[in-house]
Amino acid sequence: MLGPTMWDVTSMTEPTYPERLQKWVVSTPPIAFLVVFFLLPSLMMVGASFRYPGEFGGLSPLFRPAETVGDTGLTLESYRFFFGDMVFLWIIAKSFLIATLTTLLCLVMAYPLAMVIARSPRRQQELMVLLVVLPFASNFLVRIYAWIIILGPFDLLYTPVAVVVGMVYVHLPFMVLPLYTNLEKHDPLLLDAARDLGASAWQGFWRVTFPLSLPGVFSGSALVFIPVLGMFAIPELLGGTGDVLIGNLIKEQFLESRDWPFGSTLSIMLMLVVVAFAALSSRLARPRVSAP
Amino acid sequence: MTLRKIRLVVFFLATLGLPWSAATQTLYLYNWNNYIADATLRRFEERCHCRVKQDYYSDNEEMLAKLEAGAVGYDILVPTGNTVETLIRENALKPLDASKLPHLKNIKPEFLDPWYDRNNRFSVPYAYSISLIGYNADKLRELDLPTDSWALIFEPRYLERLRNKVTVLNSQKELMAAAMRYLGYSIQDRDMDKWDQAKRLILRAKSYWAAFSNSTYIKDLAIGNIWVAHGYSNDMFRAREDARAAKRPFEIGFTTPREGAVLAVDNMVLHKGARNTALAHQFMDFMLEGENSASLSNLIGAGNPNAEATRLISPEISGNVDIFPDAARFGRLEMIRDFDARERRILSRMWTQIKVK
Amino acid sequence: MRPNRSGMWIFALAVYAFLYIPLAVVVLFSFNDSELNAQWVGFTTRWYSVLWRDPDMLAAALNSLTIAVIASLAATVLGTMTALAVQRHAMAFLLPLALGPVALPEVLLGVSLLLFFRQVLDLTLGWGSILIAHMVFSIGAVAVIVNTQLVNMDESIFEAARDLGATPWKTLRFITLPIIAPAIAAGFLVAFTLSIDDFVITFFTAGVGVKTLPLQIYSMIKVAVTPEVNAVSTVLMAVTLTFIATAARIAPHAVNANANVARAKKKRGAP
Repeated sequence: MLGPTMWDVTSMTEPTYPERLQKWVVSTPPIAFLVVFFLLPSLMMVGASFRYPGEFGGLSPLFRPAETVGDTGLTLESYRFFFGDMVFLWIIAKSFLIATLTTLLCLVMAYPLAMVIARSPRRQQELMVLLVVLPFASNFLVRIYAWIIILGPFDLLYTPVAVVVGMVYVHLPFMVLPLYTNLEKHDPLLLDAARDLGASAWQGFWRVTFPLSLPGVFSGSALVFIPVLGMFAIPELLGGTGDVLIGNLIKEQFLESRDWPFGSTLSIMLMLVVVAFAALSSRLARPRVSAP
Repeated sequence: MTLRKIRLVVFFLATLGLPWSAATQTLYLYNWNNYIADATLRRFEERCHCRVKQDYYSDNEEMLAKLEAGAVGYDILVPTGNTVETLIRENALKPLDASKLPHLKNIKPEFLDPWYDRNNRFSVPYAYSISLIGYNADKLRELDLPTDSWALIFEPRYLERLRNKVTVLNSQKELMAAAMRYLGYSIQDRDMDKWDQAKRLILRAKSYWAAFSNSTYIKDLAIGNIWVAHGYSNDMFRAREDARAAKRPFEIGFTTPREGAVLAVDNMVLHKGARNTALAHQFMDFMLEGENSASLSNLIGAGNPNAEATRLISPEISGNVDIFPDAARFGRLEMIRDFDARERRILSRMWTQIKVK
Repeated sequence: MRPNRSGMWIFALAVYAFLYIPLAVVVLFSFNDSELNAQWVGFTTRWYSVLWRDPDMLAAALNSLTIAVIASLAATVLGTMTALAVQRHAMAFLLPLALGPVALPEVLLGVSLLLFFRQVLDLTLGWGSILIAHMVFSIGAVAVIVNTQLVNMDESIFEAARDLGATPWKTLRFITLPIIAPAIAAGFLVAFTLSIDDFVITFFTAGVGVKTLPLQIYSMIKVAVTPEVNAVSTVLMAVTLTFIATAARIAPHAVNANANVARAKKKRGAP
């Protein structure tokens, strides 16, 4: 019933020499680039979380004269501080809540827009996508200041509402674009078939379109959810005294307290929670193949 | 068709090539936002036949963080006293050649030979500010609230009338110092229990405050969104000027609280990675001249440690005791001093707790 | 038109309105006769002449544009390669690797890159460091977007191509790339916006003297963001609009190839 999948194909034929060549040509540059400029620096920072903060901030030298614990300059102190107070996990949870809320709002707002764009004639599509992206050629700070001007008279400034509004506003196009690229590929005949079989418009959407669009939904959600977690500028400018998120804490460790080990620790713990989350949700992201 | 794309890119790149043609020397200044008048910079550029390029920071810690991570290329930095001390201990500065700074004599004696840099081996005082309370004078009169005490931002009985109309500085050192002074303690006190008291004082007041703000309070005060702000004297001066210029129906005032406040003296220093030591000295001496130093104060209302300059500053500013404190007020001001690593850690963790609870 | 279609159109327009109202404020207030720029005072065009005579701001804007173009082109290429490797060559591990930079808090990424550049590579910060940094966080975004389109591709097309004797390169050039062209374009747009607006990572990796617009504007924060900043934002939007509209008109053959393939599919018989 389902057509042959990519996996069936590769098991049926041996990859030929040109195919293997293409594989290496296509994959080596990105791998090399990412390993050198992302993996290595990140591993350095992971290592940093196990070190002591320098006397004036930053990181202390790796091998200190043995005045403190052990011969190496390594310690679990930052992690002990993290787990010693429930409040850090609470802040991560709060940030997750805001990120989830932002992602859901973005999804609800972006989906109809993406559908409208995907169903428009090709020429119009380009223009409409451009219009979605264009606001972001202006400047982030300027847009936030515009929201300060807009929200001020409504007494919404320095509230959680302002923070969510700002987050949604800044991340909306990152939800629209992946959804659009996915929806654009949907075969309209599928919906026609559903209708012929007696489905209502809503059933057509929920049972056919939405499942097929799940890869787009999850890409868009990833591009919104994860950056929101690390943001500090929006809570700082639009939020009140109670709207401190994990991104603010991390930024403060690096730029104010200059306690880099603890900043790294916070980031690593955040990443671990994100990875756990992502692993869970990737189960749901398996793509459906279009009907033969 | 790709040709057009290529041409566009080349066009962009070519237009960028224009500023690179200069063979003149360039001085790299790493300075606070808006801490030097443009006109002054132009005057220096004319005199030395060179260019000055500025990078900005809005916080001492921010500057230190970048330097720590390895940023190089700056000639002159403008750190506050405690940061000068840190930089000296980190061996990040080059000593100054006093023979190249004849105008150093312009500095008032009380600012010479400071605790953070004995004999001015590495630094030259530039300007100073006081961390105090700015307020909407009309509103506070109406609400019958005191304007000369930290109680205004720490006591619930006053804060009740100011719900969501107060902002405080987003800085561990500044806010906790204010709390310590209000409690009657010196900000040099190393007794961590006292700092814990300060932390609890802040937590008690936190829910009444609108936000932590390092810069937006200037605008907020001048528009009337916020009625009380914890901030710097030169910022309050600006807010007052802006409110007047916009013809608001209220006046912005600012007062140094009677319990005492933080004095921040900013200094010019030479970074060890400086490429242009001679030019840097020239610049420092230039800024020590009365006229050039005065232009900053006249522009932003900054306190000035330069005696020669003080004579050239408009009397409205030089006569303002909250910008140029008199002897009595001076005695109640303290400068922030960095503690050792262990105490700093305790304090920064207290600050984290303040932020999240 | 089915009834729910027009309902969706109205909703879509509402979302566009949401996106553009703050922008309208930005553009409007670039004509505001008030330095404080917090409330509307009066109309003036003087901020545009201030902008024209402000070499720092203009240089910063130009820098931002240039960096954005170069970095996003490179990131689009690398990101597309990543997606191809993941989907067509079964290298699934590449996608989390590419997404890693997007997942990290920007401060962490910025600090780690700065440390790496200075202490491991001993690289002088400047154009190179900013470009590399921008590429690092853009690759993942492009990869993810291209990947979503590749995932939905009908395998039978590749089968047919192979049966007809097409080499992998021919397949790539004449079938795969044209089909995913919309995703590549969308990826480029996302990379472009990420780059032109990036503040945190640029903050750490920019060298002395190289200013991008976000850095320049940040430096004005204390002084209150004057309408000059609104003016430069308006100009930047206009320039970007022109640039992208021109580029879109330049690449019509990708559109045609797409249409051709779609038509060919239909001809082979409805699936």
